Amino acid sequence: MLSLIIRRSRSRFINGIKIRTIFSSCNSLSYPDSSSSVLVSRRNFNSTPASSYFGFNSGKISYSESNFVSTTRSLSSEAVAVATTCDGLTVERIIANQWPILDENESDWKSHAAAISQSIQVIKRRLQWKKLLVRLNVLSAELNKPDLWNDPIHAGKISREHGSLTGKMKGVMTFERELLEHIDMLKLAKEEDDSELESDTLKALMDMRRVSKEKELEALLSAENDPCSCYIEVQAGAGGTESNDWAFMVMEMYKTWAQRRKFSVTVVDEAAGEIAGIKRATIKVNGEYAYGYAKAEVGVHRLVRISPFDSGKRRHTSFAAVAVIPILGDGSTRVQINDSDLRIERFRSGGAGGQHANTTDSAVRIIHIPTGITATCQNERSQHMNKASAMAVLQSRIDQLEMARQTAMNAQHTQSLTEISWGNQIRTYVLHPYRMVKDLRTNYEVSDPDSVLEGDLDGFILSFLSSSLDKDDPEH
Amino acid sequence: MIRIFPSLRFTSLLSAAKPLCSYSPAREPPQYASFTEAKSSPQTNSLSITPKTPLFLRTPSHATSLSEVWKWHDWAKDLASSVEESSTNSEDILDSVILHRELKWLIEDSIVDDPLVILHKSEIADNGEKNVKLRASLEELYDLWRQRIEKRRPFQYVVGCEHWRDLVLCVEEGVLIPRPETELIVDMVEELVARDEWFKKGFWADLGTGSGAIAIGIAKVLGSSGRVIATDLSPVAIAVAGHNVQRYSLEGMIEVREGSWFEPLKGLEGKLVGLVSNPPYIPSDDIPGLQAEVGRHEPKLALDGGIDGTDSLLHLCHGASRMLQRGGFFVFETNGEKQSKMIVDYMMSNDLKDCFSDLKIVSDFAGINRFVTGFRL
Repeated sequence: MLSLIIRRSRSRFINGIKIRTIFSSCNSLSYPDSSSSVLVSRRNFNSTPASSYFGFNSGKISYSESNFVSTTRSLSSEAVAVATTCDGLTVERIIANQWPILDENESDWKSHAAAISQSIQVIKRRLQWKKLLVRLNVLSAELNKPDLWNDPIHAGKISREHGSLTGKMKGVMTFERELLEHIDMLKLAKEEDDSELESDTLKALMDMRRVSKEKELEALLSAENDPCSCYIEVQAGAGGTESNDWAFMVMEMYKTWAQRRKFSVTVVDEAAGEIAGIKRATIKVNGEYAYGYAKAEVGVHRLVRISPFDSGKRRHTSFAAVAVIPILGDGSTRVQINDSDLRIERFRSGGAGGQHANTTDSAVRIIHIPTGITATCQNERSQHMNKASAMAVLQSRIDQLEMARQTAMNAQHTQSLTEISWGNQIRTYVLHPYRMVKDLRTNYEVSDPDSVLEGDLDGFILSFLSSSLDKDDPEH
Repeated sequence: MIRIFPSLRFTSLLSAAKPLCSYSPAREPPQYASFTEAKSSPQTNSLSITPKTPLFLRTPSHATSLSEVWKWHDWAKDLASSVEESSTNSEDILDSVILHRELKWLIEDSIVDDPLVILHKSEIADNGEKNVKLRASLEELYDLWRQRIEKRRPFQYVVGCEHWRDLVLCVEEGVLIPRPETELIVDMVEELVARDEWFKKGFWADLGTGSGAIAIGIAKVLGSSGRVIATDLSPVAIAVAGHNVQRYSLEGMIEVREGSWFEPLKGLEGKLVGLVSNPPYIPSDDIPGLQAEVGRHEPKLALDGGIDGTDSLLHLCHGASRMLQRGGFFVFETNGEKQSKMIVDYMMSNDLKDCFSDLKIVSDFAGINRFVTGFRL
């Protein structure tokens, strides 16, 4: 074994291939059923004399090399290999060991390892790991077809998706392997009595533990359109002024939420209520992952309060429906709209128009005749801009319809306003007789409705996103 | 050549506008291209006229506490909300929904900070003690909003600009405020030149250009090789159009010439590839009954089209036959329905018979038969 370690440290500089062959006998991607290599490597390590370990106290170098090992097989293999330590420890086994998870500052490697492993498990669940691997195989097969590029649009789509999924998969695999390598290194350090290496490695594990929490959050927003900007639409339910006012409050809640998240907000369309509030409104929310977060808000929001519009001071229940539409990037395939399918209308009060009228109202409505979908914009200062904004909304609505059609089977799309049934309540806001906001999907609740109405929605959004992804994967 | 602004002053105005001017034209000092230098037509009258600086281009030299601005905003909102009750004439009243939108734009144009500071006052933690920078004194803002509501001064004159297509054009009393319908003229030209490159190369003319809106819109769709001559009888219009052309650094493509209709186009007979115009077309009898903003504030010269409103249009029809090349395109805006039909009939009869082909009536987005288009045979 002495010679093995020496060769390992030397050969790093001499011969890359050698590293790979030797390394793979120890820290390898072994199939769960092939335990022989694990046994061999364990025996090797156990007999390592302390003196043999020199020139090898930089943990960092070993990561980059082992990355090299990792990527070679995983893509082509039918079943994805499972990373193990030299003594056969895997992420799953770490979890099965149920090591207690202590505070981050405790220097206990088992606690760190258990925490990181749990995060990896959460990340995999959120990425829908099994489905992702199956999909990746399908895409790889597709990419290998010789006639793929006969349809460049399709080919582009396939290769983009393949690239994005591969990136996600590699990210997790690398992270997993990094953990196991640290564990190997730590055991080695203990055996060698190398306290410097031990503390370095412990620190590296602690860092990983922090990063893993961030990765968990990132994994919540891993669906195809999550990075897009979006439109948020609010529609008042029946009940006149009281529900118009509620729709207005809901829209304000999203405006401030978006501003807090540093998204930019523009009002595209707004139909004011007769006395107060809005009948309906559309805002555009610009920024990375706007859609990923906002999609958690789709559905009917219910308000219970003493209505300020009721002179009898009675308690009222009002509803507002929320729809969220992703604005697909240029990379995605968007539905082609023919100009001849459009009818563009300008609202007018029936006057002669032209030079007769001086109005700053240049609202435009566009109707897509084949689908009956319409879009309106009146908040820009010129007709041209109103038309461009309305056209952008129309495009996104039609794209959404097409997505809905394509994914009708797996119900991955968010619904449009017309599809949302008023029975589909997602959240209740009670201002009277007690004060509470409760999400009916996750049972997440908050006792301060004001903070929620002032845009503090992230708790609701994150709890919904994680619960919906956890639900999606029957494995867990 | 005649330039209304010394370039130095001009650039300083533009740089002051940076924070708010979202669709702003190029801010480099204007480039005096050869086309401008070669101008032949004198602009004697417009020399003395200096266009007003619109609100959004002014220097933000007024600091006011936020609470004072909120007070003004509340007052302005109340005034806007109360217009419907206080109106005596049920035919011609202000719409408070539109006024609220205009108020928002007035704030956008006059405040340097994020307008949301004013519009969403509940979210600001400090109690309005913070100072905000304004482009007009609060006193003036009170006055401007009163003018808008009590005097029915058009919003575009109040702020000194009109957003039209993707442009922000300076406007002031004496110049017709470009209408949304008229944007379609540029759309039609855009479509035409996309279909046929030939139209990109020759001379275009915009007669009665007013603020220069159509000329600038067309120059932008023609691309770098485009040439547009914009004419107007009004010295104020000439000054304002020149200013707008300069703001978009289009002096190399657009020449503004003072004079009546075709007079400033001498020597270009049979040379134009395109001719566009939004001439005065309202019948004289309709002028007294116009909406207050139009009748009381906009220039009659740009509105009154004679007894049946067609005086200028008929003149343009004859000019089109004389000035356009074979295959040249024209589009005129009309009063709609009856008038557009009349113009088409006129162009198919008498001495204009056989001059034009593909005569068409094109409607605006409100469904009114607004435009007459065609090609010179």
